Amino acid sequence: MRRLLSYIGRFWHRYAFGIFCTLATAALGMTIPYLVRDAINAIQAHDYLRLAFMVKLICGAAVLGGVARWFSRFVIFNCGRDIEYNLRNDLFAHLVKLGPEFYERLKTGDLMSRLVNDLTAVRMMIGMGVLSFTTTPLMWVLSLSVMLSLSPRLTLASIAPYLVLFFVMYHLSRSIMERSLRVQEGIGAIGAKIQESLSGIHIVKAYTLEQHQAAQFRALNDSYNEQGLALARIRGVLLPLIRGAAAASTMIVLIYGGALVMAHRISIGDLVAFMSYLVALAWPTTSLGWTISLYQRGKAAMKRLAEIFETTSTTMIEEDGPLRLEVAGEVRWEDVSFSYFANRNGSSNGAAPAYALRGINVTVRPGEKLAIVGRTGAGKSTMVKLLTRMIEPTTGRVTIDGRDIRELPLGGLRRTVGVVPQEPLLFSDTLARNIAFGRTDASRDEIIEAAHVAGLDSDIAMMPRGLETVVGERGMSLSGGQKQRVTIARLLAYNPSIVVLDDALSSVDTETERAVLESLGQSVRGRTTIVVSHRASTVRDADEIIVLDQGTIAERGTHEELMARRGIYAGLFHRQLLEEELTQY
Amino acid sequence: MEVGREEKLARVHELTLLKRVWSFVRPYRLPFWIAVVLMPLNTLFALSQPYLVKLTIDLFLDPRHRPAPAWLHPLLRAAGTHGLLAMGALYVMMLLGEFATFYGQFYLTMMVAQYSMSDLRTALFNHVERLPMAFFDRTPVGRLVSRMTTDIDAISEMVNAGSLTIFNDAITLVAIVVIMLTFNARLALWALCAIPPLLLMVNFFRVRARVVYRDIRERLAALNAYLAEALAGMGVIQLFTRERESCREFDQLNLRARESLMLANIYEAGLFSSVEALSSITIAIILWVGGGEVIRSLIGLGTLVAFMEYAQKFFNPLREMSQKYTVLQSSLVAMERIEALLEEKPLSRPAAPARITDRRGSIVFEHVDFAYRPGEPVLKDVSLTVEPGQKVAIVGATGSGKTTIIKLLTRFYDVKAGRILVDGVDVREWDLTELRRAIGLVQQDVFLFAGDILENIRLGRVDLDDSAVRTALARAQALRFVEQMPAGLREEVHERGANFSAGQRQLMSFARALAYDPRILVMDEATSSVDSETEHLVQLALEQLLTGRTALIIAHRLSTIQSADRILVMSNGSLRESGTHQELLARRGLYYRLFELQYGAPDTAE
Repeated sequence: MRRLLSYIGRFWHRYAFGIFCTLATAALGMTIPYLVRDAINAIQAHDYLRLAFMVKLICGAAVLGGVARWFSRFVIFNCGRDIEYNLRNDLFAHLVKLGPEFYERLKTGDLMSRLVNDLTAVRMMIGMGVLSFTTTPLMWVLSLSVMLSLSPRLTLASIAPYLVLFFVMYHLSRSIMERSLRVQEGIGAIGAKIQESLSGIHIVKAYTLEQHQAAQFRALNDSYNEQGLALARIRGVLLPLIRGAAAASTMIVLIYGGALVMAHRISIGDLVAFMSYLVALAWPTTSLGWTISLYQRGKAAMKRLAEIFETTSTTMIEEDGPLRLEVAGEVRWEDVSFSYFANRNGSSNGAAPAYALRGINVTVRPGEKLAIVGRTGAGKSTMVKLLTRMIEPTTGRVTIDGRDIRELPLGGLRRTVGVVPQEPLLFSDTLARNIAFGRTDASRDEIIEAAHVAGLDSDIAMMPRGLETVVGERGMSLSGGQKQRVTIARLLAYNPSIVVLDDALSSVDTETERAVLESLGQSVRGRTTIVVSHRASTVRDADEIIVLDQGTIAERGTHEELMARRGIYAGLFHRQLLEEELTQY
Repeated sequence: MEVGREEKLARVHELTLLKRVWSFVRPYRLPFWIAVVLMPLNTLFALSQPYLVKLTIDLFLDPRHRPAPAWLHPLLRAAGTHGLLAMGALYVMMLLGEFATFYGQFYLTMMVAQYSMSDLRTALFNHVERLPMAFFDRTPVGRLVSRMTTDIDAISEMVNAGSLTIFNDAITLVAIVVIMLTFNARLALWALCAIPPLLLMVNFFRVRARVVYRDIRERLAALNAYLAEALAGMGVIQLFTRERESCREFDQLNLRARESLMLANIYEAGLFSSVEALSSITIAIILWVGGGEVIRSLIGLGTLVAFMEYAQKFFNPLREMSQKYTVLQSSLVAMERIEALLEEKPLSRPAAPARITDRRGSIVFEHVDFAYRPGEPVLKDVSLTVEPGQKVAIVGATGSGKTTIIKLLTRFYDVKAGRILVDGVDVREWDLTELRRAIGLVQQDVFLFAGDILENIRLGRVDLDDSAVRTALARAQALRFVEQMPAGLREEVHERGANFSAGQRQLMSFARALAYDPRILVMDEATSSVDSETEHLVQLALEQLLTGRTALIIAHRLSTIQSADRILVMSNGSLRESGTHQELLARRGLYYRLFELQYGAPDTAE
């Protein structure tokens, strides 16, 4: 809440203006019934002049009130939008600083719903809430003081329905919100079921489960119907309740006030003024009851957002890190062990293999090429993730030019070590912008050159708009191999001093992989290169090859040395050759 | 001109769309029509209230301007203050009537909308489920989810809020005009003075608001898409130290969204305030013109007050009608998308499915050609025969077309040329359900549904009781681990079976097939390695699974291959070699190389 107040504080002058307009709106709005009263009294007194005067005043109040209302509504609502905008930006700026451990804990879907729904709840609170909290009390004060001066008794009698309205609204709106939440969950469950059934459509079809799935779907829909109608049952009361309260007090004014008129205690003008005041109070009173629940919901939402703000990451990037570090490029893993469970309370299955890496000691001299091979799950990716501090070693340290990378500025480190990750993740943007992803200032020529080295020329020539083709979710879908080559181009444009390829070409055929690696090798000549591959045949030119097996180094040496050993590497290499042969069969 | 033509075309189309919506509302037409009848009643009750105010004022409070007709005088004298109470009682009755009719009408329309849209959603789900696999290859699941949730919600909005209440608003407007005209035509015309400027205003804002609302939808969608993508790809953003640029891009999208949202607020506030101001000005006009008439005793004071109230009631429906028009528009767009989905053709079904006489389980491929995409053949002239009870293994490198054979056999896709016979009948002439019941499919990646183990084995067949499922699990060697679970058969399965190991999932998929007891078993053996103990269990389960069935297996296990009656060797979409393990090894051809690749030199493996 304090955080929110600081946001509100930033717009205090606009809020002040908005609230001033709101108060003016309320004041002008509340004079109209009084003027109507005078006009009717003038009619009864057959006083044309006074009637004309009152009519002009009403028109004036209406126009001024209209202008004030216009300003008050959009100024205050737009403050809400501004705060939402700022909150959203700040949240995003915070989110980009959080490390992988945060994103493992919270799934994208959960985070999205927090950012979307909670922000909306907060905005409603500070938009509608402020408007309603300032207008309604003032309207009540003004109209009560006028009504009391006209007839205290009639006032007390006629506002009674409103007290009921306010309290019923307050309780009703809470259960309305609860029930709407349930309706939302209901449609969420329906969405999840569609997602599941259609993702597993092959099993649905193979086992002819269409009807079974449809029955389950129907059941979910049935309970959604119930939830929807449960909401409708109380929402249906809402409007009659508001109108009913207004009409009930009109009726009281009519009977009791009518008796007072017949007894000549008040004028008909007073009676009409009473009726107008009461009608004017109906909506503000309702919305005040509603706003209190808005406030409660907004507060809870803000608390959830604050949780994100308060999450910090061990590896947060500094605001103004240096650009790339000047390094010779010696990379060293010193006694490095790593366990994914080390930082968590309790491991997942009790006896799970505790260490993904154990006692790794590897040195890559500046400009040399290290290859890491091994089976899936041997710890290859873990080794290179340590290099960019996406994860931290449980024991031991990783150094660049002899300096522990934890002592280097993180931004600088990540600009120095460029990675082509295993998963070729591209963004829904043009090819050119995806290639220039890490260096937005890359020139057109640099982008074209990077694409060329990554072997993308012929692919780009086939695309409808060349480099300007939008790819990804909302654009053209690329094959796995194409995506991987775009990620290579992205790395080249990034131009790091140390290059890491984490099984970066697994989806392209061996021939293409070899060609890309060759042209890549030429363009990164002189830079330290670390290549992870499941294919032995593509790494034979490395200065050192290490074979990982269950988190430890099983074999190490040059291609020739390892072949001579006739161990794991030699086996891998042999199978590789055979496989290639078979595809050409 | 161009625009006009387009609109005309769209209108014809709208009619078909509305017909489609109506076809789902039709089953609930009774509550629908009751609601339609209740609406004007509600209007009647609501509009009678100002009339009662008029009567009260004219009869009791200010009788001097419009004296009541002479025949009423004795009655009024007799009534005295009781007359007021009588009026009050009438007023309460009208109020209760308004209450009841509103509630009834509201609840019934909600009910109709809820039920009919639920039917539409289920129908859509049923329809989509039956679409051919090719449809799912090109349609992301996320898009289908939003068709069946967001889009249907938009239509629901139209059914419950839009169409009916627009009708009701129109009735209210007409009724008010008629009432005012009967009271006093001159004053009525003056009171209606505000309508032309109001209509202009509503139109002015509506046209602008429509553009702004479209922008809002697009910009918010872009913003949220960017956000979702950034959250999913945060690792890449951080690796490429792109935090600052991403924040800047996000800010730009955020800014654009805010711009439209703020503009919308300005328009909305403008419309709201001008309606309020106009309604006050109308009161002033009524007071001025009507006041003069009261003074000249042409109308009673009560009529004047009633006019003021009617004028107030006039503005709301007018304002809301324009809002609902927008709802109507967006729901039509949603309906259009759903209609397109409904027009997707399911796999053709034979008009009269062939009667299957021979049920021994034979498979024949005759010169089958197939391609997922034109120009990229996946299977070329494949012919094969599996005799009843035979076990045939298919081997081949990745991408040689093995999996496609399975997909064609179960008719996930139709062949481009040639034909596939199961039990002597072309699969296209089989009843699809019966075909798939005859063939049990065990796939490489086991798909488990969220639910419990029992449900995942039974897969909806209620005739399978606990003990039948237990037997299946036992034969699949899965009973032991299932019984070790705290809840046994009722152990919860998380989405996609994430809480089970790969080996356990495999055994469960065997149990599924065993419970299913098909005469033909088609299996894509899992390549994922399991520990030696589980491997042993898998072997045992596999034996159980294969006994007494015709089997076509994409084999990876040495034991499976060796025990097969025949082995088919695929390469680049064609069948290259066929024979027993020993025969093929002796040929020293493709199979020999494949075998060497997979298991090392054959001499050492045996």
